[in-house]
Amino acid sequence: MIPLQTQSTLPDWAALAPTLLLGLTALALLLVDSIDPDDDSPGLLAGVATLGSVLAMVVTGWYLVAGTGMPRTGGAIELFNGQLVVDGMSLFFTFIFASVTALVSVASYDYLADRAHQAEYYALVLLAATGMTLMASANGLATAFVALELSSLPSYGLVAFLKNNRGSVEAGLKYFLIGAVSSSVLVYGISLVYATTGVMKLPAIATALGGGVAGQGTLGVLGVGILMVAGGFAFKTASVPFHFWAPEAYEGAPAPISGFLSSASKAAGFVLAFRVFVTAFPLEVVAGTLDWTLAFTVLALVTMTLGNFAAATQENVKRMLAYSSIGHAGYALIGIAIVTGTANQGYALGASMLHLFVYGFMNTGAFLFVALVEYWGVGRTFEDYNGLAKQAPVACFAMTIFLFSLAGLPIGGGALSKWALLSATASAATLSAYLLAAALIVNSALSLFYYSRVVKAMWIEEPAGDFEVSSYPTGLYAAVVGAAIVTFLLLPAFGVVSGTAFDAAAALF
Amino acid sequence: MVSAFEFVPAIAVLPLVSFVVALTFGKWMPKKGALAGIFATAGSLLISIWTALTVAGFLGSETAYHEEIWTFATGIGTFDLHLGVFVDPLSSLMLLIVSLISLLVFVFSLGYMNDEDETGLPRYYASLSLFSFSMLAFVFADNILMAFMFFELVGLCSFLLIGFWFREDAPPSAAKKAFLVTRFGDFFFLIGVVGIFATFGTGLFATEAGFPAMAEQAITGEMPGPVSEFLSAVGMGAQQWFTILGLLVLGGVVGKSAQFPLHTWLPDAMEGPTPVSALIHAATMVAAGVYLVARMYGFYLLTPTTMAIIALIGGFTALFAATMGVVKQELKQVLAYSTISQYGYMMLALGSGGYVAAVFHLTTHAVFKALLFLGAGSVIIAMHHNENMWDMGGLKEKMPVTYWTFLSGSLALAGIVPFAGFWSKDEVLYEALIHGLGNPVLLVAWAMGLLAVFLTGFYTFRMVFLTFHGEPRSDTAEDPESVRWNVKLPLGILGVLAATIGFINMVPIKKLTGLKIDFLHKWLVGSETLNAEFLTGLEHYEPILKNVAGIEASYIAGSEITTLLLSAALSLGLALAGVGLAYRLYAVPEPVEHTKKLGGLRTLLMHNYYQDEYQVWLAEGVTLPLARVADTFDQGIIDGVVNGISSVSLFSGDRVRRIQTGVVSNYAALLTIGLALLLIAFGIVGGWF
Repeated sequence: MIPLQTQSTLPDWAALAPTLLLGLTALALLLVDSIDPDDDSPGLLAGVATLGSVLAMVVTGWYLVAGTGMPRTGGAIELFNGQLVVDGMSLFFTFIFASVTALVSVASYDYLADRAHQAEYYALVLLAATGMTLMASANGLATAFVALELSSLPSYGLVAFLKNNRGSVEAGLKYFLIGAVSSSVLVYGISLVYATTGVMKLPAIATALGGGVAGQGTLGVLGVGILMVAGGFAFKTASVPFHFWAPEAYEGAPAPISGFLSSASKAAGFVLAFRVFVTAFPLEVVAGTLDWTLAFTVLALVTMTLGNFAAATQENVKRMLAYSSIGHAGYALIGIAIVTGTANQGYALGASMLHLFVYGFMNTGAFLFVALVEYWGVGRTFEDYNGLAKQAPVACFAMTIFLFSLAGLPIGGGALSKWALLSATASAATLSAYLLAAALIVNSALSLFYYSRVVKAMWIEEPAGDFEVSSYPTGLYAAVVGAAIVTFLLLPAFGVVSGTAFDAAAALF
Repeated sequence: MVSAFEFVPAIAVLPLVSFVVALTFGKWMPKKGALAGIFATAGSLLISIWTALTVAGFLGSETAYHEEIWTFATGIGTFDLHLGVFVDPLSSLMLLIVSLISLLVFVFSLGYMNDEDETGLPRYYASLSLFSFSMLAFVFADNILMAFMFFELVGLCSFLLIGFWFREDAPPSAAKKAFLVTRFGDFFFLIGVVGIFATFGTGLFATEAGFPAMAEQAITGEMPGPVSEFLSAVGMGAQQWFTILGLLVLGGVVGKSAQFPLHTWLPDAMEGPTPVSALIHAATMVAAGVYLVARMYGFYLLTPTTMAIIALIGGFTALFAATMGVVKQELKQVLAYSTISQYGYMMLALGSGGYVAAVFHLTTHAVFKALLFLGAGSVIIAMHHNENMWDMGGLKEKMPVTYWTFLSGSLALAGIVPFAGFWSKDEVLYEALIHGLGNPVLLVAWAMGLLAVFLTGFYTFRMVFLTFHGEPRSDTAEDPESVRWNVKLPLGILGVLAATIGFINMVPIKKLTGLKIDFLHKWLVGSETLNAEFLTGLEHYEPILKNVAGIEASYIAGSEITTLLLSAALSLGLALAGVGLAYRLYAVPEPVEHTKKLGGLRTLLMHNYYQDEYQVWLAEGVTLPLARVADTFDQGIIDGVVNGISSVSLFSGDRVRRIQTGVVSNYAALLTIGLALLLIAFGIVGGWF
């Protein structure tokens, strides 16, 4: 056990060490690039990016174990006059971001082989990750907006990274346009909230609303503001109806970036939504204006249903994963949709956090497997995957773990996180919670259909052509197998993570 | 001093070991696993003898024994499920019978299987050992669930052994039939087991905590709490509910002991090797049903309706099966129907309150029927597996050992004094008569049983005369194959026993002379502990029989001796008449098929009263269409709904997919519309406007 007095010996700003590490790594990458602009040493770039993210992950893990910013060591650490806050939840999510970044960096080494602008690629990934960690820590609406843009802007560039690929560029442009619309919705919503309350910091907003600033006349203004803020976050989490960018961005982007966006970026949207709604708009204060749990219930139902139904009819594996990712956003929304007075609120939110944690590994892993297949140049449809297991059994085994875990079969942590969501709905015991639970079950059943199509293609079908897997890239394999091992280990070790998640979530209330 | 009781589990475990040995190493062993079985069952027999001596009180004062061996399911806030051992006079007697016959059958198999160069012997001996294990464990089971488990296991072994020659057509089909028909009965048994556990919270056969004792309490004394709770839940009176439970369990009994209407599997089961028929389908497994009724006799005594049904089924089956035995042409078929008929007698005895008579007949029947089957096996070896009696004849001189022992068994079966069957059958009929005098239902059952005596004498000696007497009617019968010691030794032992085993309970002699020679009766009365603590002694049963079941003895002309003599004379006379008729018709050098004179009746009998036909009709005419309807329902409605859901899903998935047009301005528009809709909806709900 790391001695608790480290907390007292380190200065407060050190709580931001993961964020700083990620940001500095991005700068270091740019520095390397300016010294050696020809991308002669891809290994060095990937190594620096991986090292930086792994360091951030280790530091975050250490903080989580040591209890930085948690009630047992004196509660959340506020920085910059309370604009940023470091607590259990921010660290928990930072851990997700850092580990996904590490996986993506490792995998990109092979994926980007012989491509130009590698330094920019890694730098953008790390800058986006920095933005995400800031989203996790943001404690004011203005900070939140800036952090969100910090993570979004590099993402646009990353999606369009394959400059000579039409799909990639088109996807990047669409992503950017929809992002612009959504950002304006968000910032307009923020302005309306500010108009009613006159403050930007989240706890202050709650205080102001509790004090009754929102008079009868401004009720509508506040309501519209809150709903538009929710819309802005829905863009980041790729929830309906702000999801339109997602299928195309995930499909067009380089596969590691698809994994990065669909896991880390989505989680970042969630952590921001969790914090803003729980801290700034406590339900007991704004329920008269807007019962946002109802809004999130609607969003969750529509999102998971639409995502899964659309995924069921796809022909393209990557696009199927993109829609399934939308479906999973719907599952994660359950946590915030049932944060009502009667439920065990920490448990509900913790269940969502856990799902996002497991999802970070299994979904990134699945996209990295797609990256591996793209690296081989196999093809993108289900049929192209036929008989792949004969040539790459290890990777296909890992993919099978990811897919079944995504579906919720007890071969990986996905089963337990879905179970946690279900039991959270059961403890909430309201009609809408049961509705959500039913939708979760039905959609999971449906998802098994399209996930097993991939498994069937890989293991059972005969190969269509006489394709030969030429090489087994170390970096991609390492990332895929590593993600698979973590996904599997989260099954027995779920209890270790879940304790942290529930504590972190409970500290928010 | 070490008590035999501690070794009781070994009685069953030894054959289990031999099962494993025969299965794994049988191929490389001399005699292909037979020796393992012989040693194991010999060990079982020794321990059984030791146990019996202990139960008799010769080796210490503890005369009954109950122990839980292994609790395999621990209930939380409810009952446990366990395996256990219960040894009392009844089970120790049965252990003795089963291990003795098992041993003899193993020895006989050396001659019947090994000497005939059969293939697959390890499988044969393994199955036979597994059977011995299951049967012995069934016998000492201390609770009804364990009994059920081993009841099913013996059924499995029966299936495996009937279908031993699975490459031929008939045996696999017969095995399936036996399995399905008995399973049909066992289905009710299983429900009964569940019902008993649900009602009483225990399946124990004996002691105050057992379910017969609790049921007795519920009817005669104070209702135990859990029972009354359950009864009020089902909304029935105690006796009514216990009758249902008893009848459910009886379903398994009727199937296993081949009673009407589930007797049809037993004649077909004769497709199995003859030693198997002797052990499983005559002496032991078929007895499991009867034994089960005797085991939970304290429970059945509480419901007079069930008792009457048992008696009626028994009496009817005894007569019904005997009529079919009259016309059969194959040696083993005659024996099969005679087995069904004899088990009918035991059921008759149990149903009419003759507990001792039933156990007595069970014992003697095990001996003489095993003997007859083994004798038939010897004949079959000699006749090169031709079983048709019309091809035999004149075997008497060629195989004297077989003839004389077979004759001993036949005399016992026909019930000719002083052979074993006379004493036991006479007691069965006597008990049925004295209890039936005050009870018309039992009297009807008795009358049917009595009529069957004549038929038994007739078909038994028809069989004997056709097989052994007269002139040889085929070339094989002229020059039969000789059999060796391993066939003759078991025949000899059983032949002597068939003549003498009846002496263990000579009630008529006792009544006439006053000599106390009714040993079996005393054995079953049991010690004081047995009656006071374990509640499975006869002394415990008698008052219930009288008070609850309402079955009382009454005598013709008020005299016990008169009734006794009359009954004995009647049954002996009928038996002799049957034998005499058979002698007149068939003990001639060139017998002819007199049964042809029966005309249409013969056709009916040859077709076994069309029992098989109606059961096949039930299966094909009723069950199959019903199954088809269910299948249509499943395929059409259930699968239809499922398929419908999936096609609706895929269709709507396809629609949803089309929302994604690829045109970014559409996305922006849809996004805005979606947001606007949300704003309007929540605005209206929240009263913003």
